[in-house]
Amino acid sequence: MISLKRLWVLLLIVLCTACTDPVSDAFRFGLAGAPANLDPRFATDAASARVNRLLYARLVDFNDTFEPVPALADWEQLSPTHYRFHLKTNVQPFHDGTRLTAHDVKATYDFILNADNASPHRASLAVIDRIAVDDETSLDFFLNRPEPLFPGYLVIGIVPAHLIAAHHPLHEHPIGSGPFSFLARPDETRLHLLRIRDQQRFEFITVPDPTVRTLKLMAGEIDMLQNDLPPELVDYLEHDRMLRVQRTAGTNFSYLGFSLEDAVTRQVFVRRAIAHAINRQEIIRYVLDNGARPAQSLLPPEHWAGAQDLDPITYDPEKAQALLRQAGYSREQPAKIVYKTSSDPFRIRLATILQHQLKSVGIDVDLRSYDWGTFYGDIKAGRFQMYSLAWVGIHTPDIFDYVFHSRSIPPNGANRGRFRSTVADTFIDHARAAPDLETKRQWYVQLQHHLADALPYVPLWYEDHIFIAHREIEGFAIARDGNYDGLIHVRRSPPDAL
Amino acid sequence: MIRLRIPLGVILLWALVALLTPVLPLAPNAIDLPHILTPGSPDEWLGYDDLGRPVFDRLVVGARTSFLVAFAVVSLSLIIGSLLGAIGAYAGGWIDLVLVRVIDVFLAFPGILLAIALAGVMGPGIDNVVIALSVVSWVGYARLARAQVLSMKERDHVYAAVAVGTPPPQIIARHLLPLIGAPLIVEASFGVAGVVIGEAGLSFLGLGVQPPAASWGSMIRDGTRYMLVAPHMVIAPGLALMVVVLSMNLLGDRLRDWLDVKNQSRKTVDN
Amino acid sequence: MFVRFLISRILTAFAVVFGVVCLVFFLLHLVPGDPVEVMLGESARPADRAALQQALGLDLPLHVQFGRYLANLSQFDLGTSFYSKRPIRDLLLERLPATVELGVAALLVALLMAVPLGILAAVKKETAWDVGATGVALFGVSIPNFWMGPMLILVGALWLGWFPVSGREGVASLVLPALTLGTALAAILSRMIRSALLEVLNEDFMRTARGKGLAERTVILRHGLRNALLPVITLVGLQLGALLSGAVITETVFSWPGIGSLVVEAIHRRDYPVVQATVLCISVSYVALNVLTDLTYARIDPRVRLGSRP
Repeated sequence: MISLKRLWVLLLIVLCTACTDPVSDAFRFGLAGAPANLDPRFATDAASARVNRLLYARLVDFNDTFEPVPALADWEQLSPTHYRFHLKTNVQPFHDGTRLTAHDVKATYDFILNADNASPHRASLAVIDRIAVDDETSLDFFLNRPEPLFPGYLVIGIVPAHLIAAHHPLHEHPIGSGPFSFLARPDETRLHLLRIRDQQRFEFITVPDPTVRTLKLMAGEIDMLQNDLPPELVDYLEHDRMLRVQRTAGTNFSYLGFSLEDAVTRQVFVRRAIAHAINRQEIIRYVLDNGARPAQSLLPPEHWAGAQDLDPITYDPEKAQALLRQAGYSREQPAKIVYKTSSDPFRIRLATILQHQLKSVGIDVDLRSYDWGTFYGDIKAGRFQMYSLAWVGIHTPDIFDYVFHSRSIPPNGANRGRFRSTVADTFIDHARAAPDLETKRQWYVQLQHHLADALPYVPLWYEDHIFIAHREIEGFAIARDGNYDGLIHVRRSPPDAL
Repeated sequence: MIRLRIPLGVILLWALVALLTPVLPLAPNAIDLPHILTPGSPDEWLGYDDLGRPVFDRLVVGARTSFLVAFAVVSLSLIIGSLLGAIGAYAGGWIDLVLVRVIDVFLAFPGILLAIALAGVMGPGIDNVVIALSVVSWVGYARLARAQVLSMKERDHVYAAVAVGTPPPQIIARHLLPLIGAPLIVEASFGVAGVVIGEAGLSFLGLGVQPPAASWGSMIRDGTRYMLVAPHMVIAPGLALMVVVLSMNLLGDRLRDWLDVKNQSRKTVDN
Repeated sequence: MFVRFLISRILTAFAVVFGVVCLVFFLLHLVPGDPVEVMLGESARPADRAALQQALGLDLPLHVQFGRYLANLSQFDLGTSFYSKRPIRDLLLERLPATVELGVAALLVALLMAVPLGILAAVKKETAWDVGATGVALFGVSIPNFWMGPMLILVGALWLGWFPVSGREGVASLVLPALTLGTALAAILSRMIRSALLEVLNEDFMRTARGKGLAERTVILRHGLRNALLPVITLVGLQLGALLSGAVITETVFSWPGIGSLVVEAIHRRDYPVVQATVLCISVSYVALNVLTDLTYARIDPRVRLGSRP
């Protein structure tokens, strides 16, 4: 038993190295996944994008109807291919004290456009031909084709030109001009930021397990969190008198996608049957705890290019069965579909319900869940018959071109089901060529009516955003796209007000 | 006798349920959303799960999946592992060397990566679950068997057998395996629990049984997510697993004692 | 002789690590899913894909990639993460202490529970003590960590308020994850100790020891336990290796920033360099432990020394 004594000593040594202090009045925000990259030129995941919005400022933002609005800069369109941006006068300096000028904007976008840097955002900005700085506060973007939606593309955080030149590792030590500055990242699970306005500390703590995150919130180890909790836990927390739950309608679009080259799912009758076989209302009520609204189209109706007058898809099992008969299927000869989903437990749960509802109208669904890498790879490569997924953070209607135009079939775009419709192509082309937003809107609305008929996707719902915090936390406004900008104004109510 | 009969009864009941499940009138996949997470009541005394399915029905059906997987995996990896381990230790030399290195490579390798790879290559299915879990778990038995044989083969009765000219396979089978059986069986009886739970992890990665099929492991895993709001979901499959593991272990003990007696009698003969 | 044994053990250890390195590299590229696709997200265009592939060196033939990887490795260059772009050496150095800390603590918990339980069960064989010890052990083994963890948090952190819920801040935060990880191991260990002890209790040297008039306590602790240790050490060595790599679930539940959660995140994102480096690190520590186990063997049981027949 000599070894046991040695183990004790070893343990004591180890424990003492683990001792750390911190008791602080920081705001602690719970995350489900750690932001992967704090450099906006490279970040692609949603968690990074949300945190980077706090660290960096960008030229353009979106309002509630998803129209681009000035952020760092106003703009004027001098010709269909020429935009001039003027930095506002009250632009905040970078966190290292240097002033943000038009040179920094040019340097940021030039870096992304340089193929050697392999930024994942390069191709989405391929419309930029060149950038010219006029003076410290204004610059010109010249395009290689007319693009009325262009300002909406300029949403990447601006980084300091001198740090780009110095190859500063922004992913390790981010320096932007956003309302928050970087303090420290003790390990992957913890990120410390400082709100510049009032020197308030914020800690972002990653807790992957939803139950543990819930318990951490209840125990007061985190003050607030947003989304990524099963509805049952949200309901449970709603009964906790120390906590307050806020909800806002979201815009992340959940849908069923199909292969339009597969013998079964290429038939529009089958897809319509599926649409009518799914009881959205019941799922939203019982499984999503009323935390979603049914979707009719990829863009929500409040989007400036959204369609308000689409007929809701009804739950009608008889109609679904009739449609299946029209397609030549029956109880004896059911349609057989393989349905791929990610291994996220909540997604599997929803998929199991859809499987059951489709079974009851006579569609045999073989459900397969895969780890995210495999699943996403399969979907992007078009290896599926049916799958469910969501579009997250969609702001511009270009998405239709990218998802439904026949020229966007992979690898050229995200038309993964290989939807080929001359009608849709024509509408998209007209919309793209339209000189002004109103004409564009009309074409996009027509397109969405066509898509509701052709059903390359069966729309499911938009899930709500849910913010849960301790009672004394005030002033957080949930963003429509689920970003964390609410932290800019969040505060603790003074103790006497409690 | 109680220590033999009750555990034996439990295991036999498990086997019987596994066998009869296909003909029992059960509705394990009857989703009824309004019943979601309803706790037990006189009508449905184990309550409903996170999709409003009856927990009792799923427990019975899950018994079959878990039984098949557990027994296939444990016996497969026990046989392969202990045979290879015993052979390696007995033969020594380069055979042993290669075996030990292979074991090391397997042990030093993250199982989850192997599982994802297998899931991608083979796809879901119960037979693939068995393969994947056996690939991971045979090494434990092999290492244990090897260590045991190393310490046993110097014993007198083995020397005696070698001296008489008994062929090596017979020495391994008649003199070594019975002796090293006890720790292996203890390990195997624990293996059952590991396999039942491991299967749940695999189905999560796209390799195991896929929804809506039930297994005890996946029931426990799903139930865990609702431990704050519906603790009833995890209790029934958790208890079932515990009773089964307890029985396996008691049986293992009995078997050990029994082997022990046999060894001792044989020892006197050999000496 | 002993030095020769040591040298050959270390050489073969290198062979094992090399085997693991090869296996991981090729298996990773065999697994479906593409890091470029995962990295690019939804809005990427084909030109991005090609550029990124080139930047990451993934457009090269596999054997060239492998050659490069080995060349870098031979200079102790583990590369940088595809995702965070951070040097992997830093990532590992950041996470390794957390994993070692948890592993050692869990092993300690396991030994503290298993040794008394195992001895009790063996000495008082087939009594209520034995059944009780068996029951405790089985309780430990049939509870999966993913349930045990949240349950301990509920009781220890929320109801009692003694420990933090999760994270790695201070000694207190180590208790719950170590308990979670340790109980399952304690269960197996205690059964193994019981069974191994029973095995030796009837052996001749034990009778001799008793015959010499030594106290039963001394007989069991000094002679019995020492001889029962061999299979137990195998298991401990095996399990410590597993604790270093396999604490995935416990690390995830307690958001413990260790190696286990790193490798899982990396696998899901197909962050090849991180997976390769982490597995390399795990296999090196595992193999090192193994050599240590073998050496301990040789000390405890002279018959095994040098792993050859006398």
